[in-house]
Amino acid sequence: MKKKILIIEDEETLKFLLSREFKGEGFDIEEAINGEEGLKKAKESKPDLILLDLLLPGIDGFEVLSRLKKDSNLESTPVIIISNFSQEEEIKRGLKLGAIDYLVKANLTLSDIVERVKKTLG
Amino acid sequence: MIIEKEKEKILAIINNLADGLMVFDEKGKLSLINPVAQKIFGIEREILGKSIVEFSSSSTLKNLFYLLGKEIKEVFRKELRIKKNLILEITSILILEKGEKIGNLVIIHDITRERMMERMKVEFISISAHQFRTPLSMIKWSLETLSEEKLGELTEEQRKIIKKAQDSNERMLTLVNNFLDVIGIEDGKYVYKPTFSRIEKITQSVIENYQEEIRKKQIKFEFQISNKKLPKIKVDSKKISLAIKNLLDNAIKYTLPGGRITIVLKSIEKEIEFSIEDTGIGIPKNQQENIFKKFFRGSNAVKVETTGNGLNLFVVKSIIEAHNGKIWFQSKEGEGSTFYFNLPLK
Repeated sequence: MKKKILIIEDEETLKFLLSREFKGEGFDIEEAINGEEGLKKAKESKPDLILLDLLLPGIDGFEVLSRLKKDSNLESTPVIIISNFSQEEEIKRGLKLGAIDYLVKANLTLSDIVERVKKTLG
Repeated sequence: MIIEKEKEKILAIINNLADGLMVFDEKGKLSLINPVAQKIFGIEREILGKSIVEFSSSSTLKNLFYLLGKEIKEVFRKELRIKKNLILEITSILILEKGEKIGNLVIIHDITRERMMERMKVEFISISAHQFRTPLSMIKWSLETLSEEKLGELTEEQRKIIKKAQDSNERMLTLVNNFLDVIGIEDGKYVYKPTFSRIEKITQSVIENYQEEIRKKQIKFEFQISNKKLPKIKVDSKKISLAIKNLLDNAIKYTLPGGRITIVLKSIEKEIEFSIEDTGIGIPKNQQENIFKKFFRGSNAVKVETTGNGLNLFVVKSIIEAHNGKIWFQSKEGEGSTFYFNLPLK
Protein backbone atom coordinates (compact mmCIF):
# COMPACT_ATOMS: atom_id res chain seq x y z
CA MET A 1 0.00 0.00 0.00
CA LYS A 2 1.29 3.39 -0.97
CA LYS A 3 1.44 5.87 1.90
CA LYS A 4 -0.52 9.04 1.39
CA ILE A 5 0.82 12.49 2.23
CA LEU A 6 -1.25 15.65 2.34
CA ILE A 7 0.75 18.78 1.56
CA ILE A 8 -0.82 22.03 2.78
CA GLU A 9 1.32 24.76 1.24
CA ASP A 10 0.29 27.97 -0.50
CA GLU A 11 3.51 28.63 -2.42
CA GLU A 12 2.92 26.92 -5.78
CA THR A 13 6.58 26.31 -6.56
CA LEU A 14 7.33 24.78 -3.20
CA LYS A 15 4.23 22.62 -3.34
CA PHE A 16 5.05 21.47 -6.84
CA LEU A 17 8.63 20.54 -5.97
CA LEU A 18 7.67 18.74 -2.75
CA SER A 19 4.90 16.90 -4.47
CA ARG A 20 7.19 15.83 -7.30
CA GLU A 21 9.86 14.59 -4.92
CA PHE A 22 7.41 12.56 -2.85
CA LYS A 23 5.73 11.06 -5.91
CA GLY A 24 9.16 10.04 -7.16
CA GLU A 25 9.73 8.28 -3.85
CA GLY A 26 6.55 6.26 -4.28
CA PHE A 27 4.07 8.23 -2.17
CA ASP A 28 0.51 9.19 -3.00
CA ILE A 29 0.04 12.94 -2.80
CA GLU A 30 -2.88 15.18 -1.94
CA GLU A 31 -2.40 18.93 -2.16
CA ALA A 32 -4.11 21.93 -0.61
CA ILE A 33 -3.32 25.59 -1.10
CA ASN A 34 -4.94 26.97 2.04
CA GLY A 35 -6.07 25.95 5.50
CA GLU A 36 -9.74 25.38 4.71
CA GLU A 37 -8.94 23.19 1.74
CA GLY A 38 -6.36 21.37 3.83
CA LEU A 39 -8.87 20.52 6.54
CA LYS A 40 -11.41 19.38 3.97
CA LYS A 41 -8.90 17.14 2.18
CA ALA A 42 -7.63 15.76 5.48
CA LYS A 43 -11.16 14.63 6.31
CA GLU A 44 -11.88 13.22 2.87
CA SER A 45 -8.65 11.49 2.03
CA LYS A 46 -7.41 10.33 5.47
CA PRO A 47 -3.69 10.83 4.76
CA ASP A 48 -0.98 8.90 6.62
CA LEU A 49 0.88 12.14 7.30
CA ILE A 50 0.35 15.86 6.81
CA LEU A 51 3.00 18.39 5.83
CA LEU A 52 1.73 21.73 7.02
CA ASP A 53 2.92 25.23 6.18
CA LEU A 54 2.23 27.95 8.76
CA LEU A 55 1.72 31.13 6.79
CA LEU A 56 -1.40 30.39 4.80
CA PRO A 57 -4.13 32.60 3.39
CA GLY A 58 -7.27 32.48 5.55
CA ILE A 59 -6.84 30.35 8.63
CA ASP A 60 -3.18 29.90 9.44
CA GLY A 61 -1.25 26.69 10.02
CA PHE A 62 -1.49 26.88 13.81
CA GLU A 63 -5.27 27.04 13.56
CA VAL A 64 -5.34 24.17 11.06
CA LEU A 65 -3.19 22.13 13.41
CA SER A 66 -5.37 22.74 16.44
CA ARG A 67 -8.51 21.87 14.47
CA LEU A 68 -6.89 18.66 13.21
CA LYS A 69 -6.01 17.71 16.77
CA LYS A 70 -9.59 18.32 17.90
CA ASP A 71 -11.00 16.00 15.25
CA SER A 72 -11.22 12.49 16.67
CA ASN A 73 -10.71 10.95 13.22
CA LEU A 74 -7.57 12.95 12.55
CA GLU A 75 -5.96 13.61 15.90
CA SER A 76 -3.60 10.66 15.55
CA THR A 77 -2.43 11.61 12.04
CA PRO A 78 1.16 12.83 12.35
CA VAL A 79 1.64 16.45 11.31
CA ILE A 80 5.04 17.86 10.38
CA ILE A 81 5.25 21.63 10.18
CA ILE A 82 7.24 22.97 7.26
CA SER A 83 7.84 26.67 7.63
CA ASN A 84 10.38 29.36 7.09
CA PHE A 85 9.58 30.87 10.46
CA SER A 86 12.15 29.72 12.93
CA GLN A 87 11.77 31.60 16.16
CA GLU A 88 11.68 29.61 19.33
CA GLU A 89 8.16 30.90 20.11
CA GLU A 90 6.81 29.54 16.83
CA ILE A 91 8.55 26.19 17.14
CA LYS A 92 7.33 25.72 20.71
CA ARG A 93 3.80 26.73 19.80
CA GLY A 94 3.72 24.25 16.91
CA LEU A 95 5.04 21.37 18.98
CA LYS A 96 2.73 22.21 21.85
CA LEU A 97 -0.24 22.08 19.53
CA GLY A 98 0.76 18.55 18.64
CA ALA A 99 3.04 18.67 15.58
CA ILE A 100 5.59 15.87 15.80
CA ASP A 101 8.32 17.82 14.04
CA TYR A 102 9.09 21.35 12.92
CA LEU A 103 11.19 21.75 9.79
CA VAL A 104 12.65 24.99 8.47
CA LYS A 105 12.27 24.69 4.72
CA ALA A 106 15.23 26.80 3.68
CA ASN A 107 17.60 24.79 5.84
CA LEU A 108 16.64 21.41 4.42
CA THR A 109 16.82 19.73 1.06
CA LEU A 110 13.90 17.88 -0.46
CA SER A 111 15.62 14.59 0.28
CA ASP A 112 16.07 15.63 3.93
CA ILE A 113 12.33 16.16 4.17
CA VAL A 114 11.53 12.83 2.49
CA GLU A 115 13.86 11.15 4.93
CA ARG A 116 12.14 12.74 7.95
CA VAL A 117 8.76 11.68 6.64
CA LYS A 118 9.93 8.11 6.04
CA LYS A 119 11.38 7.98 9.53
CA THR A 120 8.14 9.21 11.02
CA LEU A 121 6.07 6.68 9.13
CA GLY A 122 8.47 3.93 10.23
CA MET B 1 10.42 77.14 58.84
CA ILE B 2 13.46 75.63 57.19
CA ILE B 3 12.15 72.14 57.84
CA GLU B 4 8.80 73.11 56.31
CA LYS B 5 10.59 74.45 53.19
CA GLU B 6 12.70 71.28 52.86
CA LYS B 7 9.58 69.16 53.17
CA GLU B 8 7.86 71.12 50.41
CA LYS B 9 10.90 70.72 48.22
CA ILE B 10 11.00 66.96 48.71
CA LEU B 11 7.27 66.68 48.06
CA ALA B 12 7.68 68.71 44.89
CA ILE B 13 10.39 66.31 43.74
CA ILE B 14 8.24 63.27 44.50
CA ASN B 15 5.23 64.78 42.78
CA ASN B 16 7.22 65.56 39.69
CA LEU B 17 8.94 62.20 39.36
CA ALA B 18 8.45 60.46 36.02
CA ASP B 19 7.84 57.16 37.86
CA GLY B 20 4.96 56.33 40.13
CA LEU B 21 5.74 56.24 43.82
CA MET B 22 3.86 54.90 46.82
CA VAL B 23 4.90 54.83 50.44
CA PHE B 24 3.32 52.45 52.95
CA ASP B 25 3.74 52.76 56.70
CA GLU B 26 4.80 49.90 58.95
CA LYS B 27 1.17 48.70 59.21
CA GLY B 28 0.83 48.49 55.42
CA LYS B 29 -1.26 51.66 55.12
CA LEU B 30 -0.69 53.94 52.18
CA SER B 31 0.84 57.16 53.45
CA LEU B 32 1.95 58.80 50.23
CA ILE B 33 1.14 58.50 46.55
CA ASN B 34 2.39 60.74 43.76
CA PRO B 35 0.32 61.90 40.76
CA VAL B 36 2.00 59.50 38.33
CA ALA B 37 1.02 56.50 40.46
CA GLN B 38 -2.52 57.85 40.75
CA LYS B 39 -2.71 58.23 37.01
CA ILE B 40 -1.28 54.78 36.28
CA PHE B 41 -3.81 53.05 38.53
CA GLY B 42 -6.62 55.51 37.78
CA ILE B 43 -7.27 56.31 41.43
CA GLU B 44 -7.94 59.40 43.55
CA ARG B 45 -6.06 60.72 46.54
CA GLU B 46 -8.84 59.35 48.77
CA ILE B 47 -6.95 56.08 48.68
CA LEU B 48 -4.51 57.56 51.20
CA GLY B 49 -4.70 55.89 54.56
CA LYS B 50 -6.15 52.69 53.13
CA SER B 51 -4.38 49.44 53.90
CA ILE B 52 -2.85 47.32 51.13
CA VAL B 53 -5.30 44.53 52.00
CA GLU B 54 -8.13 46.77 50.82
CA PHE B 55 -6.47 46.95 47.39
CA SER B 56 -7.70 43.45 46.63
CA SER B 57 -11.17 44.80 45.86
CA SER B 58 -9.93 47.34 43.30
CA SER B 59 -9.69 46.13 39.73
CA THR B 60 -6.53 48.10 38.98
CA LEU B 61 -4.78 47.65 42.33
CA LYS B 62 -5.52 44.02 43.09
CA ASN B 63 -2.59 42.76 40.98
CA LEU B 64 -0.26 45.01 42.93
CA PHE B 65 -1.62 43.52 46.15
CA TYR B 66 -1.10 39.96 44.85
CA LEU B 67 2.47 40.84 43.92
CA LEU B 68 3.43 42.56 47.17
CA GLY B 69 1.33 40.58 49.62
CA LYS B 70 -0.14 41.54 52.95
CA GLU B 71 3.25 42.01 54.57
CA ILE B 72 4.57 43.96 51.57
CA LYS B 73 7.50 41.98 50.28
CA GLU B 74 10.68 43.42 48.84
CA VAL B 75 10.65 42.93 45.08
CA PHE B 76 13.07 44.03 42.42
CA ARG B 77 11.85 44.98 38.97
CA LYS B 78 8.99 42.51 38.77
CA GLU B 79 6.80 42.80 35.74
CA LEU B 80 3.12 43.42 36.38
CA ARG B 81 0.51 43.39 33.66
CA ILE B 82 -2.47 45.52 34.68
CA LYS B 83 -4.27 45.26 31.38
CA LYS B 84 -3.36 44.59 27.78
CA ASN B 85 -1.83 47.99 27.15
CA LEU B 86 -0.43 48.69 30.58
CA ILE B 87 2.64 46.82 31.74
CA LEU B 88 4.49 47.97 34.83
CA GLU B 89 7.77 47.20 36.47
CA ILE B 90 7.47 47.20 40.24
CA THR B 91 10.23 47.62 42.78
CA SER B 92 9.47 47.53 46.47
CA ILE B 93 12.10 48.54 49.01
CA LEU B 94 11.93 48.27 52.79
CA ILE B 95 12.39 51.59 54.54
CA LEU B 96 14.53 50.98 57.57
CA GLU B 97 15.29 53.26 60.46
CA LYS B 98 17.97 52.05 62.86
CA GLY B 99 17.40 48.52 61.57
CA GLU B 100 13.62 48.64 62.16
CA LYS B 101 11.12 48.48 59.34
CA ILE B 102 9.12 51.66 59.25
CA GLY B 103 7.48 51.16 55.92
CA ASN B 104 7.87 50.34 52.23
CA LEU B 105 8.66 52.39 49.21
CA VAL B 106 7.10 51.14 46.00
CA ILE B 107 8.35 52.42 42.66
CA ILE B 108 6.16 51.94 39.62
CA HIS B 109 7.77 52.20 36.22
CA ASP B 110 5.66 52.05 33.08
CA ILE B 111 7.33 49.68 30.59
CA THR B 112 4.42 49.30 28.18
CA ARG B 113 6.25 51.04 25.38
CA GLU B 114 9.42 48.96 25.79
CA ARG B 115 7.43 45.73 25.75
CA MET B 116 5.52 46.82 22.66
CA MET B 117 8.77 47.68 20.88
CA GLU B 118 10.19 44.27 21.78
CA ARG B 119 7.09 42.59 20.47
CA MET B 120 7.36 44.54 17.21
CA LYS B 121 11.00 43.60 16.89
CA VAL B 122 10.26 39.91 17.37
CA GLU B 123 7.52 40.11 14.77
CA PHE B 124 9.80 41.98 12.41
CA ILE B 125 12.54 39.37 12.71
CA SER B 126 10.05 36.63 12.24
CA ILE B 127 8.55 38.15 9.11
CA SER B 128 11.89 39.07 7.56
CA ALA B 129 13.21 35.58 8.19
CA HIS B 130 10.26 34.26 6.34
CA GLN B 131 10.47 36.77 3.49
CA PHE B 132 14.15 36.08 2.90
CA ARG B 133 13.96 32.36 3.21
CA THR B 134 10.96 31.63 1.06
CA PRO B 135 12.52 32.62 -2.28
CA LEU B 136 15.79 31.03 -1.17
CA SER B 137 14.06 27.73 -0.47
CA MET B 138 12.39 27.85 -3.86
CA ILE B 139 15.79 28.29 -5.49
CA LYS B 140 17.30 25.60 -3.30
CA TRP B 141 14.68 22.99 -4.06
CA SER B 142 14.52 23.87 -7.76
CA LEU B 143 18.27 23.52 -8.15
CA GLU B 144 18.22 20.28 -6.18
CA THR B 145 15.55 18.86 -8.47
CA LEU B 146 17.55 19.90 -11.53
CA SER B 147 20.91 18.72 -10.22
CA GLU B 148 19.59 15.25 -9.45
CA GLU B 149 18.59 15.05 -13.07
CA LYS B 150 14.99 14.37 -12.18
CA LEU B 151 13.89 16.57 -15.05
CA GLY B 152 16.36 15.19 -17.56
CA GLU B 153 20.04 14.62 -18.01
CA LEU B 154 22.45 17.52 -17.67
CA THR B 155 25.53 18.33 -19.67
CA GLU B 156 28.78 18.74 -17.79
CA GLU B 157 28.57 22.51 -18.23
CA GLN B 158 24.99 22.71 -16.98
CA ARG B 159 25.92 20.66 -13.96
CA LYS B 160 28.79 23.03 -13.16
CA ILE B 161 26.57 26.09 -13.43
CA ILE B 162 23.91 24.56 -11.22
CA LYS B 163 26.51 23.64 -8.62
CA LYS B 164 27.75 27.24 -8.58
CA ALA B 165 24.22 28.55 -8.19
CA GLN B 166 23.63 26.11 -5.34
CA ASP B 167 26.77 27.24 -3.56
CA SER B 168 25.76 30.89 -3.86
CA ASN B 169 22.29 30.15 -2.62
CA GLU B 170 23.65 28.28 0.39
CA ARG B 171 25.92 31.21 1.14
CA MET B 172 22.97 33.55 1.06
CA LEU B 173 21.04 31.23 3.38
CA THR B 174 23.90 31.09 5.83
CA LEU B 175 24.08 34.85 5.79
CA VAL B 176 20.36 35.17 6.50
CA ASN B 177 20.60 32.62 9.31
CA ASN B 178 23.60 34.38 10.81
CA PHE B 179 21.84 37.73 10.68
CA LEU B 180 18.87 36.25 12.47
CA ASP B 181 21.18 34.89 15.14
CA VAL B 182 22.80 38.28 15.57
CA ILE B 183 19.45 40.06 15.86
CA GLY B 184 18.36 37.39 18.33
CA ILE B 185 21.49 37.97 20.39
CA GLU B 186 20.89 41.69 20.49
CA ASP B 187 17.32 41.10 21.51
CA GLY B 188 18.75 39.66 24.71
CA LYS B 189 16.47 36.65 24.75
CA TYR B 190 19.03 34.37 23.33
CA VAL B 191 19.27 31.35 25.57
CA TYR B 192 16.05 29.47 25.92
CA LYS B 193 15.22 27.04 28.66
CA PRO B 194 18.42 25.07 29.02
CA THR B 195 18.16 21.34 29.58
CA PHE B 196 20.65 18.75 30.83
CA SER B 197 22.53 17.56 27.77
CA ARG B 198 25.57 15.56 26.84
CA ILE B 199 28.02 17.91 25.20
CA GLU B 200 29.94 15.01 23.61
CA LYS B 201 26.78 14.02 21.77
CA ILE B 202 26.15 17.58 20.61
CA THR B 203 29.75 17.79 19.38
CA GLN B 204 29.57 14.43 17.65
CA SER B 205 26.45 15.34 15.70
CA VAL B 206 28.03 18.62 14.54
CA ILE B 207 31.11 16.72 13.38
CA GLU B 208 28.97 14.25 11.44
CA ASN B 209 27.65 17.05 9.26
CA TYR B 210 31.19 17.99 8.29
CA GLN B 211 32.56 14.50 7.51
CA GLU B 212 32.27 15.09 3.80
CA GLU B 213 34.18 18.39 3.84
CA ILE B 214 36.84 16.99 6.16
CA ARG B 215 37.35 14.10 3.78
CA LYS B 216 37.41 16.33 0.71
CA LYS B 217 40.10 18.56 2.19
CA GLN B 218 42.03 15.50 3.40
CA ILE B 219 42.17 16.93 6.88
CA LYS B 220 43.46 14.69 9.64
CA PHE B 221 40.65 15.01 12.11
CA GLU B 222 40.56 13.87 15.69
CA PHE B 223 37.92 14.08 18.42
CA GLN B 224 39.12 13.27 21.94
CA ILE B 225 37.19 13.03 25.16
CA SER B 226 39.73 13.08 27.93
CA ASN B 227 37.55 11.82 30.77
CA LYS B 228 35.85 8.47 30.72
CA LYS B 229 32.49 10.03 31.24
CA LEU B 230 31.66 13.70 31.08
CA PRO B 231 28.99 15.02 33.40
CA LYS B 232 25.76 16.22 31.86
CA ILE B 233 25.56 19.95 31.49
CA LYS B 234 22.65 22.33 31.51
CA VAL B 235 22.68 24.17 28.20
CA ASP B 236 20.53 25.31 25.35
CA SER B 237 21.70 22.45 23.16
CA LYS B 238 20.71 24.09 19.87
CA LYS B 239 22.75 27.18 20.65
CA ILE B 240 25.78 25.22 21.87
CA SER B 241 25.54 23.13 18.75
CA LEU B 242 25.60 26.34 16.70
CA ALA B 243 28.66 27.59 18.60
CA ILE B 244 30.55 24.35 17.94
CA LYS B 245 29.42 24.35 14.34
CA ASN B 246 30.76 27.87 13.79
CA LEU B 247 34.11 27.00 15.37
CA LEU B 248 34.47 23.81 13.31
CA ASP B 249 33.35 25.64 10.20
CA ASN B 250 36.08 28.24 10.69
CA ALA B 251 38.71 25.62 11.44
CA ILE B 252 37.92 23.74 8.24
CA LYS B 253 37.64 26.90 6.16
CA TYR B 254 41.01 28.25 7.23
CA THR B 255 42.99 25.01 7.32
CA LEU B 256 44.74 24.14 4.10
CA PRO B 257 44.23 20.69 2.55
CA GLY B 258 46.17 18.01 4.36
CA GLY B 259 46.16 19.94 7.64
CA ARG B 260 45.05 18.78 11.06
CA ILE B 261 42.10 19.63 13.33
CA THR B 262 41.72 18.29 16.86
CA ILE B 263 38.72 18.75 19.11
CA VAL B 264 39.18 17.97 22.80
CA LEU B 265 36.52 17.84 25.49
CA LYS B 266 37.48 17.58 29.12
CA SER B 267 35.93 18.13 32.47
CA ILE B 268 37.96 20.23 34.86
CA GLU B 269 36.59 20.68 38.36
CA LYS B 270 33.30 22.49 37.99
CA GLU B 271 33.40 23.09 34.28
CA ILE B 272 33.65 21.46 30.90
CA GLU B 273 36.32 22.72 28.55
CA PHE B 274 36.08 22.47 24.80
CA SER B 275 39.01 23.15 22.51
CA ILE B 276 39.51 23.04 18.78
CA GLU B 277 43.01 23.20 17.41
CA ASP B 278 43.82 23.68 13.76
CA THR B 279 46.91 24.01 11.60
CA GLY B 280 45.30 26.80 9.64
CA ILE B 281 46.37 30.28 8.60
CA GLY B 282 46.19 31.71 12.12
CA ILE B 283 45.30 35.22 13.18
CA PRO B 284 47.84 38.05 12.73
CA LYS B 285 48.95 39.33 16.11
CA ASN B 286 47.85 42.92 15.53
CA GLN B 287 44.31 41.80 14.72
CA GLN B 288 43.75 39.37 17.54
CA GLU B 289 41.92 41.80 19.77
CA ASN B 290 39.26 42.35 17.10
CA ILE B 291 38.54 38.74 16.38
CA PHE B 292 35.25 38.49 18.27
CA LYS B 293 33.88 41.75 16.91
CA LYS B 294 30.86 41.72 14.68
CA PHE B 295 31.73 41.68 10.95
CA PHE B 296 35.48 41.62 11.62
CA ARG B 297 37.58 39.37 9.41
CA GLY B 298 41.32 38.82 9.55
CA SER B 299 43.25 40.25 6.61
CA ASN B 300 44.67 36.82 5.77
CA ALA B 301 41.26 35.20 6.20
CA VAL B 302 39.78 37.48 3.55
CA LYS B 303 42.39 36.22 1.08
CA VAL B 304 41.72 32.53 1.71
CA GLU B 305 37.93 32.76 1.84
CA THR B 306 36.45 35.83 0.24
CA THR B 307 32.87 35.06 1.19
CA GLY B 308 32.80 34.90 5.00
CA ASN B 309 30.60 37.40 6.79
CA GLY B 310 32.54 37.98 9.99
CA LEU B 311 29.73 36.87 12.24
CA ASN B 312 30.76 33.33 13.21
CA LEU B 313 32.93 34.17 16.18
CA PHE B 314 30.69 36.98 17.38
CA VAL B 315 27.84 34.48 17.53
CA VAL B 316 30.00 31.90 19.32
CA LYS B 317 31.15 34.38 21.95
CA SER B 318 27.60 35.57 22.59
CA ILE B 319 26.35 32.01 23.02
CA ILE B 320 29.14 31.01 25.39
CA GLU B 321 28.78 34.14 27.48
CA ALA B 322 25.02 33.72 27.64
CA HIS B 323 25.80 30.39 29.31
CA ASN B 324 28.16 32.10 31.77
CA GLY B 325 31.11 30.51 30.05
CA LYS B 326 34.38 31.98 28.83
CA ILE B 327 35.97 31.90 25.40
CA TRP B 328 39.60 32.49 24.48
CA PHE B 329 42.20 31.48 21.92
CA GLN B 330 45.84 31.11 21.08
CA SER B 331 47.00 31.74 17.59
CA LYS B 332 50.09 32.24 15.50
CA GLU B 333 49.90 33.49 11.96
CA GLY B 334 50.84 30.77 9.51
CA GLU B 335 50.83 28.03 12.13
CA GLY B 336 47.30 27.71 13.37
CA SER B 337 44.81 28.60 16.06
CA THR B 338 43.26 26.94 19.07
CA PHE B 339 39.92 28.18 20.34
CA TYR B 340 38.79 27.25 23.81
CA PHE B 341 35.59 27.70 25.71
CA ASN B 342 34.42 26.50 29.04
CA LEU B 343 30.95 26.07 30.48
CA PRO B 344 30.19 25.96 34.18
CA LEU B 345 28.54 22.73 35.35
CA LYS B 346 26.00 24.57 37.41
